[in-house]
Amino acid sequence: MARMKFLCDVERCIDCGGCVVACKEGNHIPVGVNRRRVVTLKEGEPGEKSISISCMHCADAPCIAVCPVDAIYQRADGIVLVNKKTCIGCGYCFMACPFGAPQFPAGNVFGARGAMDKCTFCAGGPEETFSDEEKRLYGQNRIAEGKVPLCAGMCATKALLAGDADVVADVYRERVFQRGSGANAWGWDRAYKK
Amino acid sequence: MQKFFRCVFLLTGLLVAGVVVIVSAREGQVLAGLSTGSSADYYQTLIGTITGNWQGYGELFTTLQGQWFWKIFLVIITAIPGVFLLHYLVIGAMHFDHEGEQILFFPLFTRIVHFFAAVSFSLLAITGLSMVLGAYLGGGALIRTARYVHIGAALVFVLPALVMLTMWFKDMLPRLHDIAWICMLGGYLSKKKKPVPAGKFNAGQKMYFWLATVGGVVMAYTGYIIWGMGTTALDTVRLYAIIHNGLGMAILAFYLAHVYMSVFAVAGSLHSMKTGYKPKEEVDILHSLYKYQ
Repeated sequence: MARMKFLCDVERCIDCGGCVVACKEGNHIPVGVNRRRVVTLKEGEPGEKSISISCMHCADAPCIAVCPVDAIYQRADGIVLVNKKTCIGCGYCFMACPFGAPQFPAGNVFGARGAMDKCTFCAGGPEETFSDEEKRLYGQNRIAEGKVPLCAGMCATKALLAGDADVVADVYRERVFQRGSGANAWGWDRAYKK
Repeated sequence: MQKFFRCVFLLTGLLVAGVVVIVSAREGQVLAGLSTGSSADYYQTLIGTITGNWQGYGELFTTLQGQWFWKIFLVIITAIPGVFLLHYLVIGAMHFDHEGEQILFFPLFTRIVHFFAAVSFSLLAITGLSMVLGAYLGGGALIRTARYVHIGAALVFVLPALVMLTMWFKDMLPRLHDIAWICMLGGYLSKKKKPVPAGKFNAGQKMYFWLATVGGVVMAYTGYIIWGMGTTALDTVRLYAIIHNGLGMAILAFYLAHVYMSVFAVAGSLHSMKTGYKPKEEVDILHSLYKYQ
């Protein structure tokens, strides 16, 4: 079975924020919750590079390990999803996640965090596929429709790739190969200049 | 006139040359900055920016919360009551004459404070445990409610905890005879009614007291940060979550012991927490160094 993965090509990402907007609008994410964000290094300086980050859908996901109510689970294709009806909003997944992916809407009792919300790889949730409940709680289910996630689908420079890990890796490998060989090859400076 | 123009021309030339030299030197620096650091270094910086120091408390928290906390809590709530059950069956409860002379041990004020602390703390223990073992209770609305009750009970508990800390502070200070009490485990391992070395409070009560009050304040603060997170650095929240769980284990163990002693091991001691009076015989045996009028 295919293993779903995101890959952001830092040589192509231009920090336009389109993926963030597409995700928020397309999935009706509440204000203050960001399933995807863009991190920029050396902003405004030579060598500026950006990368778009969301849930990495880890193989051995720390969030699944720490969840005290087993609300987070992983599909056979590697997509990590949360059951918002089981989640108690304790925030342990946020503490365990290296990428800051889990998000929490505010505004419950004693200002408590609500159920965790994170990138679903646009694969909906545990509710019935294409049901209103699924759309309301988790957003679109584009994977069931046979489409790539919204963020990757709209990426103008095609920096953000999503889909079967093998195909994504092939696309990226092709790009790296075309970008340069010899002294321009990836890893050359690491190998010969240090 | 010609001399003047030559001078201006020369000065302008010098100025332009100077600017060009400075700019090109800067550019050289910039280009040098670009060429140093390989792409591998770049990715290392990138990962550091995104994940922070996850290998510090992040990994520790994941391992502890994922594999250890719930197991240790489970052992605490099964092994400790198991040992007490064995004690109850083999040695049995201590009975004292409740008909004879009575001594006022807990005045009304301390009883009221203790009552509020007892109710809110019991709620804290039950709701806290139900969150730790939430996976076995199905999670969802039930455990979410437990989480809300946990903070409500915590807000109630802080006040009596601070009052207890001040009103029993002197009686709870460690004394030399506490070591003797610990060595003989308070005399609970024998059926004989031999006076044990303890003042108003025995060493076990003192340990529980300091854990519940000072430890309780630590629990309240770490819990407050875990509850709100907000602007606190994530690594601090991780550390506090570890402290909150670890300290919770210790307090829970003493809480179970305290409940067993008051409800089962010393017959009628729950009653004396309601009325405030203890039998003279019980005070002479279990609190032999206590000077009453």
